[in-house]
Formats: sequence, C-alpha cells, structure tokens
Amino acid sequence: MNVFEEYQMRTLQSSTRRHFLKKLTTGLGGIALGSMLGCQTRSDAQLPEGLEELYTQLPHFAPKAKRIIYLHMAGAPSQLELFDYKPELKKLNGQDCPPSLLEGKKFAFIQGIPKMLGPQADFKSRGQSGMMVSDHLPHFASIVDEVTLVKTMHTDEFNHAPAQLLLQTGSPRLGRPSMGSWVTYGLGSENDNLPGFMVLVSGGKTPDAGKSVWGSGFLPSVYQGVQCRSEGDPVLYVSNPDGMDGQLRRQTIDAINSINEKEYMEFGDPETLTRISQYEMAFNMQTSVPEIMDIKDEPEYIHEMYGTEPGKTSFANNCLLARRLVEKGVRFVQLFDWGWDMHGVSENESLDVGLEKKCRLVDRPMTALVKDLKQRGLLEETLVVWGGEFGRTPMQENRGGREWPFKGRDHHTEAFPVWMAGGGVKGGFTYGETDEIGYYGIKDKVHVHDLQATILKLMGMDHEKFTYFAQGRDFRLTDVSGKVIEKVIA
Amino acid sequence: MSIRNKYLVYVFSSLTLLWLLVVVIRSVSIENKHFYVPGILFGEEVKFNRDIRPIINQKCIACHGGVKKSGQFSLLFEEEALAVNESGKRAIVPGSTRQSELIQRIKHHDPEQRMPLEGEPLTDEEIRLFTDWINQGAPWQDHWAYRPPQPQEVPEFGKTWDSNGIDHFIYKKLSENGIQPNPESDRYSLLRRVSFDLTGLPPTLEEAEEFIKDTSSNSYEKVVDRLLDAPAFGEQWASMWMDLARYADSKGYEADRPRNIWKYRDWLIEAFNDNMPYDEFVTEQLAGDLLPDPTEKQLIATGFHRNTMNNDEGGTDNEEFRIAALIDRVNTTWSVLQGTTMECVQCHSHPYDPIRHEDYYRSMAFFNQTADADIPSESPVLVEFKDTVDIEKLSQLKSWVGERVKDPALKSEMQDYFEKLVRITTPKIHPHYFEQLDKGIPVKGTSLFKVTDSIPSRTRLLPFDGEDRVMFKIRSDTSVGVLEFRLDHPEGEKIAMWEVKRKTRTEYDEEEKKDKIYSVPEVISIPISPQTGKKDLYLVLKEVGQAGTTLNLEWVMLHHSLPGREDDQYQEAEKLLYDLFNSENEQETTPIMVELDENYRRQTRVFEKGSWMVLGDTVAPGLPEKWNEFKDGYENNRLGLSKWLFSPDNPLTARVAVNRFWEQLFGRGLVFTMEDFGSQGFDPSHPELLDWLALRFVNEQNWDIKELLKEMVMSSAYRQSSHFREDLKDLDPYNEYLARGPRLRLKAEQVRDQALAVSGLLSRKMLGPSVMPEQPEGIWQVVYSGTEWKTSQGEDRYRRALYTFWRRTSPYPSIIAFDAPSREFCLPRRIDTNTPLQALVTLNDPVYLDAALALSRKVLESSSKHWEDRLSLMYSMLMLRGIPVDKMEDLAILYKKTDLYFEQNPDAVCQIAGEEDRELAVYTVMANALMNLDEFLMKS
Repeated sequence: MNVFEEYQMRTLQSSTRRHFLKKLTTGLGGIALGSMLGCQTRSDAQLPEGLEELYTQLPHFAPKAKRIIYLHMAGAPSQLELFDYKPELKKLNGQDCPPSLLEGKKFAFIQGIPKMLGPQADFKSRGQSGMMVSDHLPHFASIVDEVTLVKTMHTDEFNHAPAQLLLQTGSPRLGRPSMGSWVTYGLGSENDNLPGFMVLVSGGKTPDAGKSVWGSGFLPSVYQGVQCRSEGDPVLYVSNPDGMDGQLRRQTIDAINSINEKEYMEFGDPETLTRISQYEMAFNMQTSVPEIMDIKDEPEYIHEMYGTEPGKTSFANNCLLARRLVEKGVRFVQLFDWGWDMHGVSENESLDVGLEKKCRLVDRPMTALVKDLKQRGLLEETLVVWGGEFGRTPMQENRGGREWPFKGRDHHTEAFPVWMAGGGVKGGFTYGETDEIGYYGIKDKVHVHDLQATILKLMGMDHEKFTYFAQGRDFRLTDVSGKVIEKVIA
Repeated sequence: MSIRNKYLVYVFSSLTLLWLLVVVIRSVSIENKHFYVPGILFGEEVKFNRDIRPIINQKCIACHGGVKKSGQFSLLFEEEALAVNESGKRAIVPGSTRQSELIQRIKHHDPEQRMPLEGEPLTDEEIRLFTDWINQGAPWQDHWAYRPPQPQEVPEFGKTWDSNGIDHFIYKKLSENGIQPNPESDRYSLLRRVSFDLTGLPPTLEEAEEFIKDTSSNSYEKVVDRLLDAPAFGEQWASMWMDLARYADSKGYEADRPRNIWKYRDWLIEAFNDNMPYDEFVTEQLAGDLLPDPTEKQLIATGFHRNTMNNDEGGTDNEEFRIAALIDRVNTTWSVLQGTTMECVQCHSHPYDPIRHEDYYRSMAFFNQTADADIPSESPVLVEFKDTVDIEKLSQLKSWVGERVKDPALKSEMQDYFEKLVRITTPKIHPHYFEQLDKGIPVKGTSLFKVTDSIPSRTRLLPFDGEDRVMFKIRSDTSVGVLEFRLDHPEGEKIAMWEVKRKTRTEYDEEEKKDKIYSVPEVISIPISPQTGKKDLYLVLKEVGQAGTTLNLEWVMLHHSLPGREDDQYQEAEKLLYDLFNSENEQETTPIMVELDENYRRQTRVFEKGSWMVLGDTVAPGLPEKWNEFKDGYENNRLGLSKWLFSPDNPLTARVAVNRFWEQLFGRGLVFTMEDFGSQGFDPSHPELLDWLALRFVNEQNWDIKELLKEMVMSSAYRQSSHFREDLKDLDPYNEYLARGPRLRLKAEQVRDQALAVSGLLSRKMLGPSVMPEQPEGIWQVVYSGTEWKTSQGEDRYRRALYTFWRRTSPYPSIIAFDAPSREFCLPRRIDTNTPLQALVTLNDPVYLDAALALSRKVLESSSKHWEDRLSLMYSMLMLRGIPVDKMEDLAILYKKTDLYFEQNPDAVCQIAGEEDRELAVYTVMANALMNLDEFLMKS
C-alpha cells in the first residue's frame, strides 16, 4: 500500500470503475511516493504516471507565493489593544454591557452582565497608509506599508483547541490534515535535504490543540509538520549517538545501502530502493538540519535586528529560523507562540501587564522577519501571515461572576485581525470594518475558511478543486465553504 | 418454384418477420412489456451492478443522488429512480424507452437539455446499455455488499498447490490470468513471517533451528499451533484492535489529561488469547453492560466506546462534546463492523450508498442512552477498591443488605444495587443539567455548579419515584448555612436539608513554611421525603448570615436508602456507605458504558444539516432498510444492535471481519478499502473467496478467530515466497492476484519489539498500567497540564510497545514515525510510508542503541571468537538465516573501518559502549547497521 494507490482511489470519480481498475493494473510500479512528495525537488523527481495528472492540474492559477510563514499567536491576542482602534469603546468603559450583545451568545467565562472595557493601549496613525496601530507595536509600525490588515476575521469556535483546529485544519474536530500538510502535499518541497513542512514552537507550550494542528490527518504521515526543537535534537533523533562521528555514520549508511541493494537484487521490491534513498536523505538531514538551526554564524546586525540570542528558545530565534528555512526552500514554516490568552486572572494573563510583555517579545522579531525577507528579495514570493485563533470581547471578563485585580477580555468569535505581508498581497491596505466597539464586522467579513481559500489561491491552488479522497468522499481544506478575498491580492 | 426455393422464401420471410417483430417490440412503448416478451429479444442481459451502476456513479449521482436531487430525481434508491419527478414525468419507465425521460435526455441534441448537463455526453455504448436495460425492465440490483454472502462452490483443480479451500479460489483467478504462483517460501522466511503475523514477535534462533530440523510433514502446522497458543498472540491482535478502538491513555483535546482505561486493553489481550468467538467479542464491547448479570470483565469490555475523547477545556459546552463522542461512536461502529462510511450521512443522505439522513440518527439513538457525559470525572467508571479496608467494608455492606432483605428473590438484586451504587454510582445529575439562577438569569453549570445565598440552582424534571435519599458531592468554603432541597420553586416544598459543613485537608506549605487549610469535596447522602413523578429540584442556601458561603457541587443523585432502618446498628451501616464514597485509599477506576435508567432517557433527534444546534424530528433506534431486518425480538438498545449485526442475514459483519484478518496477513484486503464496502469502495478482488470465507467463519468456524487465522496461514497462497517477478510487474503490481507471498514493512510496534527481542532486552511482563519508556526531553509540553513523562524503571523500560503510555496530543515519537495513528479517531487502515525520519529513529533513538549494545554483548559472550564468525552469528540472530557471501563482504568493509575508527578515537569507545571495551564498541556499531537493513525492517 502506498500513497500512489491512495491517489489512484481519488481518481475514481473521473473514470469508471472498470476503466480505473484496468489503469491500476497497467504500468504503475510500486513506487513509494510519500517520500518524493514530502521531501524531494519536484522538478528532479521522476513522477510516475497518474501523479503527473495531479501536477498538471496544479497550480490551478499562476502562484504569487511559493512559500508561507504562518505566525500563529496561540491564545488569541486582543484586537482592541493592537489593531482595532475604538475610541467609542473608551467612552463606554465601566458601563454595563447592553443585553443585546449578550442575548443568545455563549462565552467561555463571562457570566451574568459584564462591564464594557475601554482600550488598554494608545493608538497612532502609521506609515504612508495611515494604518492605526497600537503603541504596543512600535517596530511593526514601521512596516505597515508592506502589510494587508484584515480586521473582520470571524470564526465558529470560542474555545482555543477547536478554534485553532478550525484555523489550521479547516475543521474544529481532530483528524483533518493541517494547512501545511495540504500545501506540501500539493506542492512538495524545494529542498532534498529538508522536510517540506516545518514547525517551530515558542512560549513554553505546544498549542492547546496539541500537535494535531500540524498533523497530516488522513494524508500520509510524510506530510505532517516536522517539529524543530530548540533544545536537544533540533529534529528528533537527528544527532548521531555520542561517540559516532559523521564519517562513521556515513560508512554505516554506505554498508546499509550496499547490503540493501543486494536485497533488492534478490527480492525486487521497489520499497527497498526507496529505503536506500531515504537513508541518503536521513544522512543529509543530519548535516543540514543542525546547520540551519544553528544561528550563531548570523552577523551581529541580524541578531540586533531580530533580537535573537543563539541557544535560547524564543519567538525571535524562531523568526530568524523561519527565514533560514524558507531561504533553503522549505515550503511551509509554521510558528506557534503560546501565551496570548489575556483573561485578566493573573499578571501575565492580563491586558495591563501580560499583553505588553508579549508584544515586546514578538514586535521586533516579526517586523525584522518581514524586513529581512524584503532585503533578501524573498518577500515577494513568501507569504507571511500573523494572527490568533479568535478575538477578544469588548467587555471585561468577570470569571466566576466576580471582579479581578487585572484587566482581561474573554474569547470572542465575531471579529479579530490577521495581517499578511508579501506573497502577492497588497501593502498598506486595510480590509473590513468593525462596529464602534469592535464587536461585529460590519463590512467585508472574512471567515476562517475564506482566509484559507485566499492563502491557497496565493499559492496557486483553487481551494474547491484541491481535494483528497478519504473516508468515502473528497475532502478539502476549506470543508464546504470559503471564498477567496480577491481584494487583498495585489 | 421448387419446394426448396419455397422453403427458403419461407424461412427468409419468417426471419424477416421475426426481425420486424423484434424491431417493433423493441421500439414499441408499452410499459412493462418485458413481462410478456421473452428477454432474449432485448439483447444480451444487462446487469445493473456490472453495467449500469458504474455509469450512474460516475456521471449521474453527483447531481441525482443523496446530496443533490436535481429535478427531484435521484438514482440512489430504486423507488426514487422510478418515481415521478419534478417535470411530472418518470425518468425510467421499465420496458418503455420512449416514455423514459432518461433515455430522451441522454440522447437529446439540445445541450441545454442533454444529460449530463455541461458534461461529456454518454458514449453510444453507454446509451445502448441504458436502452437495453430499460427494455429488459430496468431490473435493479442492490450493491453487492448489501446482499448477504452467497454460498460458493469451491473450484476444482488438480494441482498440488492446494493446502486448503482458499487456494482453489486463488488459483482459479491466477490461471484465468495465465499466472503461476511462486513456490513455497524458504523455511526461514516463512517462520519469521508467520511468527510476526501471529504474535508480533520474531522467532528465537532456537525456534528457527527446531523448525528447520523438524522434517515431519506437519512441522509447519505445529509451529502455527504453537504461535496461536502463545501469550504474545493476544498482544499482537490487541494492538491491531487498539487502532480501531482508538485506544489511548489520555482524553484528547486541550489539556489531554491522562485516562485510566488500560484494563480495557488487558481485556482485549485476554479475549484474543482465550479465543473468544468474534460475535461475543464484539457484543461484549458494544453492549457488555446490557447482558444479563454482566460480569466485571463484560463491563470493562464496554470501554471500547469509552475511548472517545473528552474535552476538559474550561468553558466548553459539555453537551456539545458528549455529542461529538456520540457521533464518533456511531462512525466507529459502522466503519469497524460494517465497512460503511456512515459519517457521510451526518449532514445529508448518503451521496452514493442507499442510506438516508435519518438513518444516521436512528443509529445514533442506540448509543444516545448511556450515562456518560463530557465531564472531567469521566463518570460512570467502575471502581475497584485496592485497599483491604475498603474491600472489607464493601463486603460488610453487602452482608448487611443480604441479612435485612428477607425475600430471597430480592436479596441478590438489592445487594447488587448497593454494590453498583458504590462502585459505579449512576445516574448522577451532572452540573450541565443544573441552572444557576444568577439574578434570575439561568446559567448552566460546567464542571461544577454553585449555590450561594443569592444564587439558587435547579434541575428540571427529576424522576422521584421509588427514591428516598439524595446524595451529592459538595465542597464548601465555610461551615455556615443550610442547604435546602425544594420542589418546583426556590420557595417550594422542602424535602431535605443539610447543615453546611466544610471538609478540609491540612497541608504544609513549603514556601510559606506553615500549615495551610484547603476545602475538599465530600460525598453526602441525606433522606428526602418520598415523592412521586417528575419534579424540578431547587437547591437553595439559607442562614448564611455574613459568611458569604459558596457551595460547589459536582453531582447530585437520587437513590434508595439501606434496608433495616429499625436496626440499632443502622447508623454504622450508613457509615459504611459514607466511608466507601469518601475513601481516599488507592483504587483503580475504568470508564465503562452504563445504560440510563428508564426515567432518564434522552430523546434522539435529527440534526438538520448535521448541526447539533438545529434539531429536527425525533427518531427511534433503527437501521437502514437495505440491510437485514431489525427484528421484533431485538432489544431497542445496543444489545439489540449487536444481535442485528450477528444475524445470519447481515450482509456485512462477517465479510468485513474476514477481510480485516486477511489484510493483516496479506497486507491488502480482498476488499482493498477495508473501511468502505460501499459503492465508492473497491470491489473485492476475489468475491467468491470473500463470501466463502465469510460463510465458513459464521457457520463452520462459529466465529472462531484462531481457526480462521489458522486456515489463512495454512494456505499455500500465504506460504508462497515473496519474491517480486518481472512478469507480474505490469500485470499485477500490487499483488492483487496473490502470485507471491506478502512482503511488508513491520508495523510500528513490531519494529521496536523486534529490536528489543533479538537483543534479549524485551520484557515479557504482560498486562497492567501503561509504561513510560525513555523518550527525548521536552516532548510533553501540553498546556494546562502538569502531567509529566516519568521514565519507567527496570524491565518496564523494555515492555512491548503496546504497553507504552499513549498520549493523543503527544504520542510516543518513534511509534508515530512508523505510521501509527494518534488514536484521536478510529483508523481502520494504517498507510505505510517510507521516510527519512524513520531512518533517524532506528539509527539514533537510544532504545535502538541499547538494543545494539545488548546484542553485541550476546555475540561476544558466544563461543565464536573470530570476527567473521561473530558477524555471521550476529546476522543470523537478527535475520534467522545464514549470511550470504556478498553481504558479508559489505559487513567486512564496515567492520574494518569501524575498528580503525575506534583505534583512532579511543575516547569514542566508552561513549558508545559505556565501558572501555573496543570490541564491544565495534560490534555495537555493526549491530546498529544490521538493525537498519531493509530485510530486518521488512517481513518477506
């Protein structure tokens, strides 16, 4: 059983059963494609018949972006302190929330009648475009003219885990492939020595929904995100055991591959040939991964720019790594930064203290990432996306129906921001409007599936045609909805 | 005119007339004319499943099926296809092509009218098939999988290649395609193959030698019998079933906290080892709790469907996630037991298969009456007291009840009632069934609900009949106030009251250097004045004064009081009950299924478009009509469902089961799509064999799993060598015809178990709580969870992989790398991949280094002294055969280079070997290389 057969199953709909079965029995070697797709240069790989078909369909459009860096702020940053300037809300500060905003709504923690909470940060107009950005993000203020800001994202889920899954996999339930898996499945990697989809995590925790947010669901496991770790092996088991150097490892792999060739001569199983090439790639990864993960050799001005410290686990280091990875042709780099859930139940989880701290940790590196990509001429073909899984309420959270010493906001599904840069999106552009208190989108609302459809389009794929047959039907990233937001595309 | 000519004319005219008649008859449009006219006049018989269904599925069903019914016309069910549609016409009129709108439309010249709309027109051949079919009366056929298996004649053939009936079917297909099978595999490979397949472990070198030496004609059969009886058999097949049961040691979702359900895993191992017949095996898992007087093991078996995920994230809606679990149970049941993609029907009728939208919810109704809910405690769980004090108290309690119930018929029933009350404790009313009335606004409870002097809480329509006590689990932060239980209103009739008392625990705080007092929950039971019927129950807190008491409750339940109230020792008996509920001694708990009491039943309603918030009609338990009948005698619950599954008329249960076992051995099911026997799945490669095996499994083998497996592994088809053949490369690239034996990569668990086994590290300790072998630092970084990976000590570090603690959001990395699923959902078929990350695991994971080191110690301890002998021995210990010369040459090169390396790098010796032993270091590297060979990772 290999990926190829899986692919064949999907073509059921375009050929009759008998014709299809005939096709299956003619001319298809048992080639393990998993490896090819995940980890090999497409142009070099000799594609078997059938898979050519998938590739002749792809791209559906001329791609604007070749690579993606997705910066996911797990926990959901508050739009009202960062990107959605609401002077009206300031005036309502401390007043009872009008019942009309509460009727029929479900909140994670708000109980009874909460009070409205004015913005806990000042805003200024920035750049040529005059985008209003919070003082919490002074560095970001300098790149607003590279950025499309979508203010009117909305989602269906008000808890972290399902909302993160909806955003990353298109479904709030576990078991679907993540965006990175889809993209790698469709486009492969551009590098022989690195996986096509890599994940970097900061903030001390994996996201609420766990590793499923970079899982491959029903796609073969070769498309799942490979987590790069900042402590221990950068990729699990990539280092040789103590006492074995690269040369001895090379020699063992030579022996393994040579014996495997003999095994192939005896049994004729094409899987054996695949295994030989996978051991080669494993060996290459042993050198290339630690190399790429080691940022010591970056010049001082780069460290200064990102705020990186070699050897540390930080969002800044991950931003720099993301650049290094896309530079090497990794298709999808996913960053998760944990700790944005400002409920106001402790100092670090508050809008007054915690949020500003978090902003200080991400503002400089995310800005540096965009600038650095630009100065290297990579920004044009690299799409950078930043956002959380939902937004936060204009009301102050009153968990347990009581008052808390710190200020916080509850989870909110109706309006939250996402910004994108590079990869064919407009610069200095704001899309969508929210109401006076940032509660609802009132113009140009963008559902999570719309964002996914747009990202796929930028990568050259039609989200309605890009499907995978599993469990008796075709699946796609955007489930059964999603509309491309054409206006954000440059 | 001669007679001869006359005769010719006669014949000619008759033929012409006949021809005319045929033409006329075929074009005459009389409905149902096929009733009067012999079918032969309408051309070769058109078979619906063979000829028509594929065209429909490919070109029509997307618009005229279960999802869309364009023009109100659907081809999913016969009655729909023949019905009058939107245009007022019938698309298919049996016998009459002219009246059949379908024929008119597929032949139409106007592209706006022609079907398929905006698609390529049907070919002439396809149009002819439709025409002939309608002329022949449009006979409908159900999809093959919805008709019960048909008895099959075992094909005759005179070859010697026939160990048993299986081979006759396989050979027939081979010879039809002009293919000869491979010869029998060499004995080494065969032994290794069958050992892995039946027990998941490699044979030992001694076992291999014994087999080679045994020249008796039934030597292979002896091996098979030995393997079927081995304890490792149960472990191997339990591992397979654990994917289907989505077994994990954690609950899933955000915090993904641990779940204690290993007893279910142990139940599986024991069930396979005891060779429990498949029908009992499934019935106990689906409905063990509903069997008469279920045993403890039968309750544990229901853990099958308690492996659904549980969301403990703060603020989640408990009902939403109860429903998510319920849906998972429906989908899993249909997928595992019927090979049917029921999940398609959640939102609409099945697009391809004859299953209606309502059928989903009728299936769901079977599962919707269990007491579990999405709550952190995972209630109901079966408690097993471990402490002798508790065990003794439980037995005292039962004696008390036994002595006081005089009616012998009632005696054991009452004892049973109180044992279950203590050990299972249902039906609890959970917080989300309570509304906290905050300023009059009802707010549903979550993992707890509260009562304060200004916030009463209520639950609706509680059935009071026959109950005279109320029990609750409560935590209070003061000892001030009275909790009152009132009916129908906060000021309604008072039926019970409890003087608030705070239970505390004192703990020394290391940081603050002083004792700290915490409030802890306590289970309380108090009498109520008996009531009849269903009433709303209000919990109201009074007389708190300035104290500001807050009560947090985890559950409330009504129950019977202990018998013997008149007895002097009654209070002591009640104390027993109290002690057992509040015991802090060690106990083992296992989530189980418990059917709700009659009074607490839920209504099951259709979710419109699959949304649980939009409720449609109420439905009763039921099954799709295309399957066998749900007979009157079947219970309307999970037990009835199980009886239906194992009815002789069920078309799928046995086929799906034999197919699954076949796939485990041959690497590919007779139906390739094990999870989909529907019309979008693959047709069986050997339909007759599938039916033959299915009927034999039911009628002759009486669902005996070991007998079924034995028959499969005894077949010549299984025993063939697995060499690929040039002549089959194009003809049969996936080995569908089985002209060679299976050559497959070992499963994730087997890869690890093999390395430990050959090196002698593997612990053969069976059963018990899951273990935590060494894993890299920092794998578990799950939010809101202090759960830590605590590396197991001693032999628990080297247990078989199926005992490894399985955390859904962070599964054991090396197992996942080899394609094991995360077990969030049931995965009926693992997809084998071949990736560099796998190579990194077997090259560098410390477990594999441990194994290499242990193996080289074994080799160095042996009597072989010469390096070539040693390498050759090492190879044999791994591959169970002698080393071929050319492979030895490669090893020799590596050996010399490695030896040189350690000579030049003396520091590396200790790093690899853990001691200053150069030889050991060299052989460890050799073992590491050998354990990465293709032949070691594959079974041939």
